[in-house]
Amino acid sequence: MKIEFTPEQEALRKELRVYFDKLMTPELQEEVAAAIGEGGGPLFWQAMDKLGQDGWIGVGWAKEMGGRGLTDIEQFIFVEEVMRAGFPFPFLTTESVGPILAEHASARLKAELVPKILGGKMIMGIGYSEPSAGTDLMSLKTTAKKEGDEWVINGQKMWTSLAHHAEWIWLACKTNFDPEVKKHSSISIFLVPTNSEGYSCSPVHTLGDVRTNATYYDNVRVPADHLVGELDMGMMLIFSQLNRERLSLVNSGAFAALFNQVTDWARETDLPSGGKVIDQPWVQMNLAKSRTGLEALRLICYRQASEMTKGNLPMEDASAAKVYGTEFFVELYRHLGEILGVAGVLHRTSKGAVLKGRLEQLYRTASIITFGGGTNELQRDLIARGGLSMPRAKR
Amino acid sequence: MDFSFNETQLEVQKLANQILTDQTSNERQNQIDEQEDRFDEQLWGQLAEAGLLGTAFSEENGGMGFGFTELCLFIEEVGRRVAAVPVVPVIVSAGLSIQKFGSSEQQQRLLPAVAAGNMIITAGLSEALAECPSAPASTAVKDGDAYKLTGTKIAVPFAHKAERILVTAKVGDDVGIFLLDPKAAGVELTRQVSTSHEPWFEVEMTNAVVEAGDVILVGSEGVAAAQWIAQRSVVALCAMQVGVADESTKITAAFTCEREQFGQPIGAFQAVQHRAADCFIDVQCLRLTTYQAVSMLDGEREATNEVLMAKIWAGDTGHRVSYAAQHLHGGTGIDKDYHLWRYSLWSRHLEMYLGSSAMLLAELGKQIAAGNAYAE
Ligand SMILES: Cc1cc2nc3c(=O)[nH]c(=O)nc-3n(C[C@H](O)[C@H](O)[C@H](O)COP(=O)(O)OP(=O)(O)OC[C@H]3O[C@@H](n4cnc5c(N)ncnc54)[C@H](O)[C@@H]3O)c2cc1C
Repeated sequence: MKIEFTPEQEALRKELRVYFDKLMTPELQEEVAAAIGEGGGPLFWQAMDKLGQDGWIGVGWAKEMGGRGLTDIEQFIFVEEVMRAGFPFPFLTTESVGPILAEHASARLKAELVPKILGGKMIMGIGYSEPSAGTDLMSLKTTAKKEGDEWVINGQKMWTSLAHHAEWIWLACKTNFDPEVKKHSSISIFLVPTNSEGYSCSPVHTLGDVRTNATYYDNVRVPADHLVGELDMGMMLIFSQLNRERLSLVNSGAFAALFNQVTDWARETDLPSGGKVIDQPWVQMNLAKSRTGLEALRLICYRQASEMTKGNLPMEDASAAKVYGTEFFVELYRHLGEILGVAGVLHRTSKGAVLKGRLEQLYRTASIITFGGGTNELQRDLIARGGLSMPRAKR
Repeated sequence: MDFSFNETQLEVQKLANQILTDQTSNERQNQIDEQEDRFDEQLWGQLAEAGLLGTAFSEENGGMGFGFTELCLFIEEVGRRVAAVPVVPVIVSAGLSIQKFGSSEQQQRLLPAVAAGNMIITAGLSEALAECPSAPASTAVKDGDAYKLTGTKIAVPFAHKAERILVTAKVGDDVGIFLLDPKAAGVELTRQVSTSHEPWFEVEMTNAVVEAGDVILVGSEGVAAAQWIAQRSVVALCAMQVGVADESTKITAAFTCEREQFGQPIGAFQAVQHRAADCFIDVQCLRLTTYQAVSMLDGEREATNEVLMAKIWAGDTGHRVSYAAQHLHGGTGIDKDYHLWRYSLWSRHLEMYLGSSAMLLAELGKQIAAGNAYAE
């Protein structure tokens, strides 16, 4: 047991920190803030180009796929540093869908898309959820039917984030209509170009200011080899994609940086009654609770990354990380927000906003993390079954 | 970044688990609980024979010469079986401290006998409303080659059976570490009844004489040495809490698969599953923060914050898991014919001993305010 990075990994962290300090110019920071951490602006794409050219996007990808061939730990370190820097890295494309696409897409699409992903030239939208298929994803209704050499897709997706920047949608469709066949063996994954005829996208505006989308598929035709992996076996891809997504969702890098910023602010800011903000015992208490929770999260994430290098990421552990991390963030934002006082609820554009209004905004965006990426109720079901051998709950 | 254990560590864990599981049937534990002292001397002897008491003692001191990590894995197993054996006070708080700071004469006099299971030593680290042995209220004054100690230690485990009690006391501006003979003139022991039934004593010292040969150290290095002792003791308690909380969770999950209500196992109810899943997560957080602290202390690295955070998790996890386990058991959990009640009491003991969560959060808060605890 040695819970520390190797000297090489430490060096990588330092290198990345310097790298991102340079990359995150004030102009880029401004663009990112205005896009609510979403990216997609011209400076964002420039930075993505640079990340691709410098070979950072595929740190943990195999060399044969065009990556650097380092382990999941290095990949994890990279994601941690990107998040710490606050760059809106499209990690769902690069960390989560990307590696699965690289393994299962047809040879032609692999050859086309993998270089684009690793070159920082592409963002993908994920089309799973529908108006009436959320947690119960397998009840989705969008269909794909084979006609000659093509698949014809019909249906509507909801919450297709980043679709308005995306060239491709990673789309889940029903492909088996035999009522005898189990739901989890009746869904397939398709790669759908967003410039296809019959595809359309309309914005959904959210509490956190982040734009997401409803996407529509009206007789969208794609060639046969746009099917990813085996027909009807898409749920397997979805499960492994979501498992990987969970790890990136709760990465502690950004939150360590936020904690440190609030700590510095409290140590530097004068109280009108004399002394500094941090001299107040309750402020120290809030920070101590945050710090203690963050430490556990950091270790959970490191342990997962280290398990992944050995090729095993037990389902209950990924779920535990997701539940713990997301519920901790909600608490963290509250504890840190309290320290800033009422100015902590000022919007970033307001006079008097503290720390660029980050906590005001985070409070609003945090509501999705506990149900997004697989709702915490389902994760707890999985922990009870996988980690504690309890019976399957009735649905 | 390696979270796995090497072969030696796994062997120690397995050996400890085997002996402790074999020797802690509910009947046996019930018998032990009937005794005046909750102490399983026979088991203690078996652990000595297997070499486990000397896990982290050097070979010269009659031990196996392994590190703090191996020792904590053994202690975790003691927690898992809530076995009536005083491993933390005897082996860690007193034993390891003597091995680290004691003279070779002191080590030779005490440690081989402790490892062999023939002698009990202990430590008095708490005073009323002061859980911090590096800042004791007790005082010591020099008297020739000896010291005279005055003050009161509380919650001292097994003081009545101890050959020596390791205590700290203020010596002017410094702190001294002493081996107090409980039979010495000026020492009065009064039994205290603890929630976990571990035999505790109030140790009142009124000019109690500690002879020169029993002085471990006095001087400017005393505070750091006392902190060293406190940190190892605290982390050993955390390791024990890992065992207690992990096993409480497992016992509970298994129980909910057996117990039926409304025609189905209660473990099939989602609300029940979720309460258990929360225990699983809490235990994971405690385990990881504890192992981190163990591994840092094993490498003699600075770990003030990591130790604080591990013990805060030990307090929080202990509290939450104990009550969730009881809750999910319904009435069975509190039935003294069932074994869960012991786990609840030990959770509480470990939560409160050497610093509660609130107290340690305040300490961590001071570290943060001083700029010593930024997040990685
Ligand atoms: C900003 C945003 C971005 C998103 N981006 C994407 C995206 O890019 N691609 C995509 O496919 N989807 C995306 N989603 C959708 C997201 O994955 C879903 O919101 C999520 O799966 C939950 O589904 P739902 O919203 O329909 O809620 P529901 O499934 O209706 O759930 C509502 C509540 O019921 C509870 N519940 C449901 N089933 C159970 C059960 N069995 N046991 C106990 N409780 C239960 C849930 O926990 C939740 O609290 C996004 C959502 C948001 C808000």
